[in-house]
Amino acid sequence: MITMNKVSKHYGSFQVLADCTTQVHKGEVIVVCGPSGSGKSTLIKCVNGLEPFQSGEIVVNGVSVGDPKTNLSKLRSTVGMVFQNFELFPHMSISDNLAIAQTKVLGRSHDQAREKGFKLLDRVGLRGQADKYPGQLSGGQQQRVAIARALAMDPICMLFDEPTSALDPEMVNEVLDVMTELAQEGMTMMCVTHEMGFAKRVASRVIFMDQGRIVEDDSKEAFFEHARSERAQQFLAKILHH
Amino acid sequence: MDQFDWSSIPNALPFLWDGMKISLEITVTAVIFGIIWGTFLALMRLSPVKPLSWFAAGYVNLFRAIPLVMVLLWFFLIVPHLLESIFGFPRGSDMRLSSAIAGFALFEAAYYSEIIRAGIQSVPKGQMGAASALGMTYGQAMRLVVLPQAFRNMVPLLLTQGIILFQDTSLVYVSALADFFGAAYKVGDRDGRLVELLLFAGAVYFVICFSASRIVRYYQSKLKTA
Repeated sequence: MITMNKVSKHYGSFQVLADCTTQVHKGEVIVVCGPSGSGKSTLIKCVNGLEPFQSGEIVVNGVSVGDPKTNLSKLRSTVGMVFQNFELFPHMSISDNLAIAQTKVLGRSHDQAREKGFKLLDRVGLRGQADKYPGQLSGGQQQRVAIARALAMDPICMLFDEPTSALDPEMVNEVLDVMTELAQEGMTMMCVTHEMGFAKRVASRVIFMDQGRIVEDDSKEAFFEHARSERAQQFLAKILHH
Repeated sequence: MDQFDWSSIPNALPFLWDGMKISLEITVTAVIFGIIWGTFLALMRLSPVKPLSWFAAGYVNLFRAIPLVMVLLWFFLIVPHLLESIFGFPRGSDMRLSSAIAGFALFEAAYYSEIIRAGIQSVPKGQMGAASALGMTYGQAMRLVVLPQAFRNMVPLLLTQGIILFQDTSLVYVSALADFFGAAYKVGDRDGRLVELLLFAGAVYFVICFSASRIVRYYQSKLKTA
């Protein structure tokens, strides 16, 4: 479903991504982790072309992301994305947040879009908040709305960019629960996260990045039991102690 | 105060009101066209297409570096001739009002575009990212997500600029157009009561602009708490 081949990106002389190669198959849940500044957010933003890259190739569902002829907007409408800071549209009600791209991008009718929005709000347990504005919700609620908003487009896969990093600790689980459920239903997912419990529970594979390189790309069992690289062992030692 | 004679004002009120209508007409039209053209200039300035961005930057720098009164005079002197030769308007038709409005709108657009550019840049970058990630084109993302938030934040600044524009409309006296200031001047000149009329006109400008800026401030405080 997603193939990356030798993807590289640099700002001036600073190498952000170096020769990143991996595949994500349908139904797989990939957790991408690594120290901050290792390029993991940049990597998944390259998948839907939000970040341009200079060399290499990314193919999503048969469409090449870097090809100048590719209609990126169309590609993005099929790939859901959830951001660290939620990025709900603050000037719209929750139900409008869910409906706007359905009507303007997919051409669904207003009623259809609202109906679909309500169903998804139900699913993330926020049906009662439909008429509120993003500013009136807690961080965890906003992030669940953001997930619902992405799902409303019927995406073929979902990208999560540190979805729980900006949340208060007591709100992390409500978001992870929604993500876990999604994973168990067979959604193809790429998640940048430090939530190793989530990774152990649902990941098919774990990718570990350091300094713009994919250092480990292995099944979760292999990664957690015996990570091969020293860098990954250090990272795990630090993160799992708490 | 004995030597002041205000008696010519009451009779002149209808004439002064006609002048006020012209001042308001210029202000409102110039604000509307200034904001529209200013929005395009701001979008050009932020555009990745270099020539567009250079054009907008050049335009803004040019108009911000020349006195308004000069722009008005140019428009008063040049534009009517241009329109006559391009559209075949009858020679000598009164184009002072339209050329004044055009001059103001083009001049103010330079200032509005800077306010709007700052407004667009004040919207977090992630909003554009989120809109794009949902499959919106750049135009849709701007129109549906970024600009509505930018304008919401900008309303007080845009209105304040409108108040300044209203004061600046008095400059159309260079084209002998009877706006409020011009009308007051004419009445004062006719009756030999120039000082009284200009004091009166000043008081009217003050009352209008001061109340308008209080309203803007009230709106601003409501915006902050919202």
